[in-house]
Amino acid sequence: MTRTRLMTGLSALALAVTPMTGALAEDADGNIVVGFATAETGFMQAYDKPAQDAAMIRIEEINAAGGLLGKQIKVVNADTKTDRAEGAKAGLSVLDAGADMVVVSCDYDFGAPAALTAESSGKVSFFLCAESIKAGVQGVGPHSFSASVLAAVQGATMAQWAHEKKGARDFYRLLDTSYVYNKGICDGFDWMLPTLADANLAGEDVFKNDDASIAAQISRIKALPKEPDAIMLCTMMPGAVSAIKQIRAAGINSMILNGSAVDGSYWLSAVPDLSDFYVPVQGSVYGDDPNPDVNAFNALYKEKTGSDPATQYTYPGYVMIDVWAKAVERAGSIDAGAVVAELEKMDGEPTLFGPRTFTPELHHQNKARYLIAEVKDGKPGIVDEWTISEPVPMEALMK
Amino acid sequence: MLQVLFDALSLGSLYALGALGIALIFGVMRLVNFAHGDVIAFSVFALLWPSTDAVAIVFAGHLPWFLLIPFVLAVGAGLSVLSEIVVFRRFRHASPATMMIASFALGFVIRYFLLMLFSSRPKSISLLPALSQPVEILGARMPLLQLITILATIVMLIALSVFVRRTRFGLEMRAAAENFTMARMLGVRANRVIMGAFALSGALAGAISIILGAQTGTADIQMGGAVMLMAFIATVIGGLGSLEGAVLAGFLLGAASVVMQTVLPPEARPFRDAFVYGAVILVLLFRPQGLIAARGTKERV
Repeated sequence: MTRTRLMTGLSALALAVTPMTGALAEDADGNIVVGFATAETGFMQAYDKPAQDAAMIRIEEINAAGGLLGKQIKVVNADTKTDRAEGAKAGLSVLDAGADMVVVSCDYDFGAPAALTAESSGKVSFFLCAESIKAGVQGVGPHSFSASVLAAVQGATMAQWAHEKKGARDFYRLLDTSYVYNKGICDGFDWMLPTLADANLAGEDVFKNDDASIAAQISRIKALPKEPDAIMLCTMMPGAVSAIKQIRAAGINSMILNGSAVDGSYWLSAVPDLSDFYVPVQGSVYGDDPNPDVNAFNALYKEKTGSDPATQYTYPGYVMIDVWAKAVERAGSIDAGAVVAELEKMDGEPTLFGPRTFTPELHHQNKARYLIAEVKDGKPGIVDEWTISEPVPMEALMK
Repeated sequence: MLQVLFDALSLGSLYALGALGIALIFGVMRLVNFAHGDVIAFSVFALLWPSTDAVAIVFAGHLPWFLLIPFVLAVGAGLSVLSEIVVFRRFRHASPATMMIASFALGFVIRYFLLMLFSSRPKSISLLPALSQPVEILGARMPLLQLITILATIVMLIALSVFVRRTRFGLEMRAAAENFTMARMLGVRANRVIMGAFALSGALAGAISIILGAQTGTADIQMGGAVMLMAFIATVIGGLGSLEGAVLAGFLLGAASVVMQTVLPPEARPFRDAFVYGAVILVLLFRPQGLIAARGTKERV
């Protein structure tokens, strides 16, 4: 009796320390382990958390449906504290805990240290939502993937859509030089523009995300003989709000295009009654997604986290686990080489948020179906859907 | 041309107000207050209710403008005075380098306090939305806010210079700036003058936060950083400790930035700030003591 109780006590203890000794536990329990080396604190947390919550929803779904290869998926976490040095440590920490796949921070710069750690251990890693080509084969190595879509696709999508559907001909390019992501959007735009009939670049300018004022840039737009049809704004938060607000306050009514980074309704109070503003999104957070399953996902997300997804950057987390689990299932093993090979076979693999393709050259999306979200009278909503006619070529991505 | 002038003046106003806030404190206690930028951020966040949600919960921001503006100025002044009482008073006999490090530390404390309450996600606010209307003046079309910024800065500068030149407190402050020890011996109450300088400097930070908040529609815990850097550079070019110099250099920096943005070819524009800082280096090479050197900082034999 005493002996049994002691044993029970010991196994309870073993369970309690499982997160610390995941490597042993994995052998003991036969679980598949997904390690999240993401930011639980610091400024990246705001970006990592929603995508991670979405990933957890997919993991719970898979576990509820019987798991992966008949095993349950277990999750281990390590906090990168939004610090690059801590990122590498967090990567090591989840690998020590037996991670078969490592999920790293959304942003390339902050996710790369953990991804490189995973790469050197020969494990598959996924960036939660990095949109630079470096988040993959080119920057980290052959086991690294990104769950999102390249920034260049967003710029190209907006240019072609505005040209075809809105009759835009005169484009103005306004680039925020502070972040690589922004340059990616404008690179995609630059590649697409010459392919559009009668479209021309009316002018271009740059600013910095934390510029206190972009009055000089706005004066240049106003000095044009004719207000441009569309302003391709390549920027992100918080500078985007500031730029849009100042452009409208100066009385410029051109339609404004941007990348997905400005999705969400949380900032719209800053620019009351904003109209003619468009961004590409992978799915709608506004409850009007043409796919009812996305709306159902939003409801589930709200149930789990207490609030609706704030932006479309929630969704890549779900896609990531989805495609990875399918690859594991097809490979019949969690061996990194076999999983990567299966991922690279995916060509237009359907997911809840559009088809996904990976090749040995590109572990990222150079073409994707996007929904077009319009802000009209201060209210956002989905108005259209667009897939660029050609994938963005490697030269434009490596610029 | 007129448009460029207005753009330059409005950006310059922002830098001039920031530079003045730093120069005021440097004048009385030789402290370069690097927490100034965080006071700016704090003043904006004071309008919001603490929450880590993506959507800002506006609280004091709903006040009508005639209450909102004094409220923000008071928050800035209050926090600044508090930082003097809690932190800088203990460092009064420390070397300027020590004080500067203390101000960095204080800035971090304020920023991480905001991070804790509001998270790192920038919040959007509609501050004084009526100012986001375009107006036309002498053929130049600009947001009303730009005009108000310029006018408000001019009014504040005039009021401040009257205050510094015509009131007893201003006299004490100028005396303290020139020679603190001598001023104390002649009966200037150190604590009162220093606290006054901190209050004024904090109120100026509040003014910047209203302008920035209304212009960008954003409350971000790092929002004070860029203005603080420019303002600090302006105080150096202006001549550390010289109030007129700080204001002049603030306007010059704003003008340089706008002119560079306007005249540089597109390929060179991403390096605008490098050109602006290059100009700063040139100025300092020819006038290391600053454009208008403060009398108190000259070396005495």
